Amino acid sequence: MTAGRLHPFTLLALAAALPALAWILPAPAGGVWTAAVALLLTLTPGARLTPGASPGFRGVGFSPGSRPGLVVFRTALLTAAPFWVFLRLLHDVPTTIAIGLRITTMVASFVWLAATLAPDRLVEATVARGWSVTAAYLFAATITAVPTLRDRARRIAEAQRCRGLSPRGSLAHRLRALRALALPLVLSALHEVDERALALETRGMVSGARRTPLAPPPDSAVERAARWALLAACVAALIWRFK
Amino acid sequence: MKSLTLERVSFWYPATEAPALRDVSLAVAHGEIVALVGAVGAGASTALLVAGDLAPRLTGGRLAGTVARRDRSAIVLPTPWTQLSGMAFTVWDEVAFGPANLGWPTHEIARQVDRAVEQLELGPLAARNPATLSGGELQRVIIAATLAMDAGLLLLDEPSAELDAEGARTVWRLIRALAKEGKAILLATSALDALPDVADRVVWLEDGAVRAAGTPDLLGEVAACDAGLGTSVATLWGASGLPGPYPLTVDHAVRLWR
Repeated sequence: MTAGRLHPFTLLALAAALPALAWILPAPAGGVWTAAVALLLTLTPGARLTPGASPGFRGVGFSPGSRPGLVVFRTALLTAAPFWVFLRLLHDVPTTIAIGLRITTMVASFVWLAATLAPDRLVEATVARGWSVTAAYLFAATITAVPTLRDRARRIAEAQRCRGLSPRGSLAHRLRALRALALPLVLSALHEVDERALALETRGMVSGARRTPLAPPPDSAVERAARWALLAACVAALIWRFK
Repeated sequence: MKSLTLERVSFWYPATEAPALRDVSLAVAHGEIVALVGAVGAGASTALLVAGDLAPRLTGGRLAGTVARRDRSAIVLPTPWTQLSGMAFTVWDEVAFGPANLGWPTHEIARQVDRAVEQLELGPLAARNPATLSGGELQRVIIAATLAMDAGLLLLDEPSAELDAEGARTVWRLIRALAKEGKAILLATSALDALPDVADRVVWLEDGAVRAAGTPDLLGEVAACDAGLGTSVATLWGASGLPGPYPLTVDHAVRLWR
């Protein structure tokens, strides 16, 4: 089974439990283990940050055709690397290792989650669990907001470039270019919110609606037990640490 | 039987003094297609929002007059890309978004969605991500999504705006077929050439008020052509200095010419 086939709540539980354990367990051993597990997860077959792999994260800038697992693994490492540099500037080596491993666990877990969690499956899971459609929408909209806004920013930047605006040159010049990008981005996003509110309302998405789940992802007893086990492990680790 | 009735309806958007609609009265019966025409800003889109109970409830503003609806309504707005749900990642799921929100059983949702997908010829796109579609494809998806909700009153704002000629013909044929099934249809369009074959009645809006209403022959009247609201054939006929009433279609023009 690939990671993407796991129930969305299981993916969320794993991505939440690893950072929690990283901070609860004693450093550096705890951090070594959790970071290792999180980085291993990024190499699992279901983790793909390539276009089309995870609808909410389509086209996030990773080169198509790369070996998917390695792309996610590399992304996690490259994202975590600057934290190590800053930590080393601020702290001694043992502290840098202790905090760096914990941050690496957090970063790798999030990158893995982003690569495996399909927003549509998450929505179906939340609706099937009896959540209101508006809460499910909030989840999906949050997950899809970043790629949507990035696409729009790219289009606006291209349009402004066609009008002769160059993002190069002095700092003042770059700030002017940034303003010409940010203002239309924010205004168009606000305008779209208005129009989308109208569209959603007329398509039956009203407060209190009981939406029919179309294809709820299967949630096996094993996965449910695994989620409870993860929660129990976190609680047990917490009790052990404060004993 | 009337599906929608507007009686002396006026509407003001928030923070505006001039009304967007002024004393508008119109009715749409089951099986009837009423087309709203007018220049930009004439109030056609606002009339649809009022008819769909979206204005002033969601837009804010103030309404005067009476709006009576007998059926559940569904609306197609003029910008299809802002109507994507954001919760569906295939075309099929996007079309199913509305029916699922209505809480219908799964088999009924599947039946309505499959039917709408077929009507709009979306079968080959059913598994595509809506975010990857062209404007015309998206327009067809949104129309299908509206049809799948099986509403008695359909409100269509520029339903052919993003479509190519063939796509537009398909949609107009579909609208006619839906009226035959008994749907009440109120549409706003600038595709005037399609109306003689599609609309049962035409309402000409000007500055938010009804200037004239009647059969599509209205689009061949001199005043309508002078206001830029005649069909292409009627406008050409008038521009040629030929006497009125102007023909609406090529067939009609050929008959008159002979």
